[in-house]
Amino acid sequence: MKSKIGVYICHCGGNISDYVDVNKVRESVKEIQGVEISIDTMFACADSSQKQIAEDIANKKLDALVVASCSPKLHYPTFSAVAERGGLNKYNYVHANIREQVSWAHSDNKEGATEKAIKVVKSAIARVKESVPLEPIEVKAQKSIAVLGAGVAGMRAAKELADLGIQVYLIEREHFVGGRISQLDFLCGADITGKELVTQLYEKIHKHPNVTLFTGAEVIEKGGSIGNFKVKVKITPRYIKDECNPEQLQKAIDVCPVEVEDDFNFNITKRKAIYRNYDSEYPHFPTIDSKNCTRCGECEKVCSSIDFTQKEEIIDLTVGSILAATGFDPYQPKENEFGWGIENVVTLPQFRRIINMCDNKLIYKGKEIKDIAYIYCVGSRQVEGDNKYCSRYCCTATLYTSILTHKKYKGIHSFHFNRGIRTYGKQEVIYDEASRLGDIFLQSYEYDPPVVTKVNGKTNVKIEDLLTGGKEIEVNADLVVLVTGMEPRNDCSIGDVLKIPKGRDRFYNEIHMKLRPVETVIDGVTIAGACQGPKNIMESMNSALSAAAKSYSIVNKGELALEPIIAKVDKDTCVWCGKCAEACPFDAITKVNANGKEIAEINASVCKGCGMCLPVCESDSIDMDGFTNTEIESMINVLAEN
Amino acid sequence: MQDNNKVKEYDALVIGAGIAGGEAALNLANVGNRVLLIDKDLTVGGKMIMLSKVFPTLDCSACITTPKVSEIARHSLITTLTSTEASDIVQKDNGTFEALITTQPRYVHIEDCTGCQLCEEACPVNVEDEYQYGLVGRKAAFIPFSIASPRAAAIDIENCTLCGACERACPTNCIDFTQTVEKFMIECKTVIVATGFQLFDPTLIPRYGYGRFKNVITSMQMERQLAPTRPFNTVLRPSDGKIPDNIAYVLCTGSRDKTVGTPICSQVCCMYSTKQAQLLMGALPMADITLYFLHIRAFGKGFNEFYAQAQSMGVEYVKGKVAKITEKEDGNLILRYEDISTGKVTETEHDMVVLSVGILPNQGITGLFKNRKLELDQFNYISQSNPLESPATTSIKGVFVAGVASAPMDIPDSILSAGAASSEAANYIRQLSVKQVEV
Repeated sequence: MKSKIGVYICHCGGNISDYVDVNKVRESVKEIQGVEISIDTMFACADSSQKQIAEDIANKKLDALVVASCSPKLHYPTFSAVAERGGLNKYNYVHANIREQVSWAHSDNKEGATEKAIKVVKSAIARVKESVPLEPIEVKAQKSIAVLGAGVAGMRAAKELADLGIQVYLIEREHFVGGRISQLDFLCGADITGKELVTQLYEKIHKHPNVTLFTGAEVIEKGGSIGNFKVKVKITPRYIKDECNPEQLQKAIDVCPVEVEDDFNFNITKRKAIYRNYDSEYPHFPTIDSKNCTRCGECEKVCSSIDFTQKEEIIDLTVGSILAATGFDPYQPKENEFGWGIENVVTLPQFRRIINMCDNKLIYKGKEIKDIAYIYCVGSRQVEGDNKYCSRYCCTATLYTSILTHKKYKGIHSFHFNRGIRTYGKQEVIYDEASRLGDIFLQSYEYDPPVVTKVNGKTNVKIEDLLTGGKEIEVNADLVVLVTGMEPRNDCSIGDVLKIPKGRDRFYNEIHMKLRPVETVIDGVTIAGACQGPKNIMESMNSALSAAAKSYSIVNKGELALEPIIAKVDKDTCVWCGKCAEACPFDAITKVNANGKEIAEINASVCKGCGMCLPVCESDSIDMDGFTNTEIESMINVLAEN
Repeated sequence: MQDNNKVKEYDALVIGAGIAGGEAALNLANVGNRVLLIDKDLTVGGKMIMLSKVFPTLDCSACITTPKVSEIARHSLITTLTSTEASDIVQKDNGTFEALITTQPRYVHIEDCTGCQLCEEACPVNVEDEYQYGLVGRKAAFIPFSIASPRAAAIDIENCTLCGACERACPTNCIDFTQTVEKFMIECKTVIVATGFQLFDPTLIPRYGYGRFKNVITSMQMERQLAPTRPFNTVLRPSDGKIPDNIAYVLCTGSRDKTVGTPICSQVCCMYSTKQAQLLMGALPMADITLYFLHIRAFGKGFNEFYAQAQSMGVEYVKGKVAKITEKEDGNLILRYEDISTGKVTETEHDMVVLSVGILPNQGITGLFKNRKLELDQFNYISQSNPLESPATTSIKGVFVAGVASAPMDIPDSILSAGAASSEAANYIRQLSVKQVEV
């Protein structure tokens, strides 16, 4: 039982003390048996206060510490480190949350808030009295990292980590690398194409001794924990031999009788069942689309590189960290949404492919295109529908596309049906350029989107235009381009395998939006690029390199100290009913034989300390280090006191 | 912690100890690199430590900055020097750098100062407090602000009368008027430039009346009024100390405005104004808040939702550029603007106006480098030589840029940019150790 406890109560510069009478809290706990000192402080987290607390621990020989301040999510690590610097075991520190749970929640009732704060602090004191010192669990960390997704973010992160001497497994679900960027033939503000960017990055990784690339591969299972993740990778066959003959392969493509919609070109063209998306694509040989291949054997007749005997493979990898860069999907408009379904209504990604296919004249479905209506925020900032977020990249991408059409073709007229152009930062110059080229901007009211109809062979876009004080304006367009935003991957199974939480926008969630944008609540798993939220290429690269830096810092020392907050089994009372193993979400519990008796055993490096096993144990044989039943009961006793 | 035992060799020199420089320094030090982190200011933490809350999470800015600042101060591989600048940076043939480091005297021995503030009480000189953006005064012997790091006194020698009152009051004898400028050379393998930004000076737009009309303030002044370390404990308008009940925000003050030489968008003002509006709704429940804007740039994660939340709380958004502000006798202000949604030129009265000032690149960075040229872009930000593949690279091999020094950006983007800079810097250091680098 601890008997020289230091209690610090934080004002949080008014965040707490505006609603909680901090002096009263301090006074009401100072007489509690075991409390050596109780002090209030303006900012407990400020460096000077931290120093003071550490000095008090040392000078006054405190044996336990309570800081009542904000959410432990924010500052538990701060003050447990202070406890350690003062010479305490950090598990003799207890954090009391009197901001999120008290002052902010009860800003309408100062007296009540103060009373609750006193209870919360008293219960923390009760718990810290019962606290026991614990030691971290030391584990070896693999100096290898799995990077999921070989789009530009994934490849960039892989290159950086490989250069730093880390063994990288780059795992791509498709049979080709490059992700969404390989579909882009022009990039805003750059003198290279998306395909060239992909090529540049691929050339840096594919011969790199530290990078192993798997294509057609997917992580289907994850076990273990930070430092030692065990991942199972399923590799689907390409049906093409590694040693292949390019001329024969081209013949094979030519003879294939199957034609399907080409999703690389967003279904505006067809491709064969044996295919590559574009000539310079990597890895530099085609694949066979097993879903659509009829196994007619025509390709085998002309090409010796085809190998239908290839089988699906499962391989096991052990990695220290996982970096997920799984990208996005473009929003797919619903039937009739802004005229979707009318033959000359296309999406922005489709339009960019069309531009790439038309050299001198812009032609779509046999007709020359002159008047183009762009409708913004399709699938983003939805009034009805779930996507309330802004997709960030599309205003700039659309304006740049428009500028390009002016440069490439004669007589183009662009009409931008927007909701407020968001060319943030330096991208403003793109907006400026489009305006100078004579593009016309029309803005809809928030709840009154433009209407697209087909009238007498023309596609008509009608809007009540905010910029002219609400005038109704109509445009007959040759082509309507729906500026579709970014969505999280439709198939987000990898997120479920890795257990990365998603936000309300369904993108993967970081630990802290402001200061920790690439780390996740799953220790050792980082996220990069557009799987975390819409981004342009440069922003994705920054995020990829940041995630690489964080993943690198996990594995670079080759060892890790893990939190010892784990479940423990009382060998004497356990009678193995198996309920704990069923409840454990991490497969940390197994049945073992101890002295002729079957009991549960907990794998310390796998247990996360979630506590799911505790309430199901009928013989009450499980206890949690750091949150023992004695500690929790002592808190309840205080909270239940009148 | 200030370190007088100056090691002359470092792996990295990080210039600027704001959130970007701090993050880059921590990333590098966490993988075993020795870092010299310098800032020309008296404290680390940059602009972020001065803010009230951050969008869109509404976290208290001081509360989330202080742990970083504290981690930096305690890190065994980071040496932090305040009041310090680098110059004469020379790249040697082997790819490493030499730099001259100059520390201005603080006239206080930081390691002995307990932050007791007795010198402040004793000092008879009152001047404008730059850390509160001129809202209140401070002494010539002063601690910058309560969560400054280091939390130690400094003497503002330009305003000091050398009366000696502070020296007599100081219980630890840490005030020392004999301190002089310290200069020393360092060698390092890489340089990260994280020199941040400055705010637009609204007196350059005389028709808004800043500096002439007392109740026209800048957004940073409002930020200070809303911060936990705020000077008044409530929001007051300067002319008469009245609590305002009808506040206007003029967005794009000094951004997207070619007449003042800034054609680009500052990327943060829409959101910080929206955030301040939400905080004001909480602090002054009866007040009306109106934002006059061109376009609301709510583009980042959670931003558009945050903007929608402000609208649903009752913040009024008026699309229209404010042309002119005039002052009434009672200190109220008349805003003249074209209300785009009606197409009419309109005048509206408010009792306080906040100018949402934009951000500008800090000047003078290129002059730090002697034998290599640090290129700037057309907007005077540090030019990114390979923005799509390596956004942190500059025109000098081995010199990387982090945060707003390369472009306007918000806090998460600064963190990501710092992550990229530190990642590339770590790789550069590694390359130097394994092979000769061509420069």
